[in-house]
Amino acid sequence: MGETQSVEGRPLDEQELVEQARGGDARAYEALVRRYQDLAFRTAYVIAGGSADAEDAAQEGFVKAWYALPRFRAGSPFRPWLLTIVANEARNRRRSGRRQDDLALRVAEDRPSGDAAPSPEAAALATEQRRLLLEALGRLGEHDRQVIACRYFLELSEAETAAALGCRPGTVKSRLSRALDRLRAALAQQGGGTPPLTRLQGGEP
Amino acid sequence: MSRRELDLEGALADLATVLEFPPTPDLAAAVTARLEAATARRAAPTARGRRLGWPAGWRRLAVAGMAAVLLAAAVLVASPGTREAVARRLGLRGVDIRIGGPPPPTVTTTPGGRLDLGLGNRVTLEEARRRVGFPVLVPGVPPLDRPDAVFVDQAVPAGGRVDLVYRARPGLPASPFTDAGLLITEFRGRPTPEFLKKVTGMGVVEQVTVAGEPGYWFSGEPHFFTYQDAAGNLRDEQTRLAGNTLVWQRGDLTLRLEGELSKEEAIRVAASMR
Repeated sequence: MGETQSVEGRPLDEQELVEQARGGDARAYEALVRRYQDLAFRTAYVIAGGSADAEDAAQEGFVKAWYALPRFRAGSPFRPWLLTIVANEARNRRRSGRRQDDLALRVAEDRPSGDAAPSPEAAALATEQRRLLLEALGRLGEHDRQVIACRYFLELSEAETAAALGCRPGTVKSRLSRALDRLRAALAQQGGGTPPLTRLQGGEP
Repeated sequence: MSRRELDLEGALADLATVLEFPPTPDLAAAVTARLEAATARRAAPTARGRRLGWPAGWRRLAVAGMAAVLLAAAVLVASPGTREAVARRLGLRGVDIRIGGPPPPTVTTTPGGRLDLGLGNRVTLEEARRRVGFPVLVPGVPPLDRPDAVFVDQAVPAGGRVDLVYRARPGLPASPFTDAGLLITEFRGRPTPEFLKKVTGMGVVEQVTVAGEPGYWFSGEPHFFTYQDAAGNLRDEQTRLAGNTLVWQRGDLTLRLEGELSKEEAIRVAASMR
């Protein structure tokens, strides 16, 4: 996430920033935007499916959130509230019939997944497995991909995922579970019945 | 949780470490610039509604700053081709918008420029009634019986829509984006049964009755809803952010009123529509 900005020469926590912003402090709000712009943009990207639309949605969401701040319930969590607004914007920009870019995320160039210097063969295998997984994800329906992306790629909480997807918090768990089932099925189909998942986990031993 | 589930989750977590999202644009700068441009001309959001000593009945008609923008969002959903153009006209890129007075000869992107709302074609009330296939209703409560501007969109949603826009005035303060005061939208369609389920748990929605027909009252938090238009298409629509919204039905029409009316005031205006 982006750097947060100290307004008075010391780091402010989220609640203080929100309170100051509610009081009309534009600099405090700018600090909040900076803190959450990655989150907002990526969430919008997952939902809208393209970066231009995601940028529009996130920017508009932040502007609307500013004007809605007087109605923000003091003390309640800011992230899900913000995500609701941004995600609504993103949904409004989603183009019907368009195949989404959303999870066609670029696989970073040979970035090891945490372990030091895997062998070239192991690295190639890991890359191939990730590619297969990404491909299987791409064959899922929009809702399945979105709930998986929210939970695993954006690392949103269940409440935040519900906010982003516009569903009830109680349904996130079951939606995710069904999405994983379908992902597993897609992988099985792809791999001729035996997905190489046990090897896929965690990169290298 | 089974081993295989753990494996799959592990694989996704692993994938997350190598996925790259597109670079995040500098939203903080863009947002701040837009807010500065707006606040240079307007009071701070918390001061909205307190600048004038309005008559008690209208004090809370502090209109949703976003009403017009949200309406445009609905247009955007349905017609992506015009989205960019509409967005610019609506001030989504820092463009100032005003209604009232004659339409501007050219679109201007400087603060203080005067634009229409991009809600469709600006017409007279009579013309709107000729163009859409449903009876266009207006509030029976003066001064709302005479909208300052009427827009019609015959294409979206199916069956067309009409927007009644009321200019800011004492009692109807200007929004940060427009000089719109209050906005009433009418179209053929009905909220879907799934509609309430889609309202986020964070919103406040209440079922109400308007002149004997069902309605929904939103307050407090952002929300959106889904409706089915006259052609049976499901549409998602955001209703409001900065004000309260009443959505109700009258026969096969769906109507929506956006502003900071109290529930009772909104229902009173809604019930007066004829």
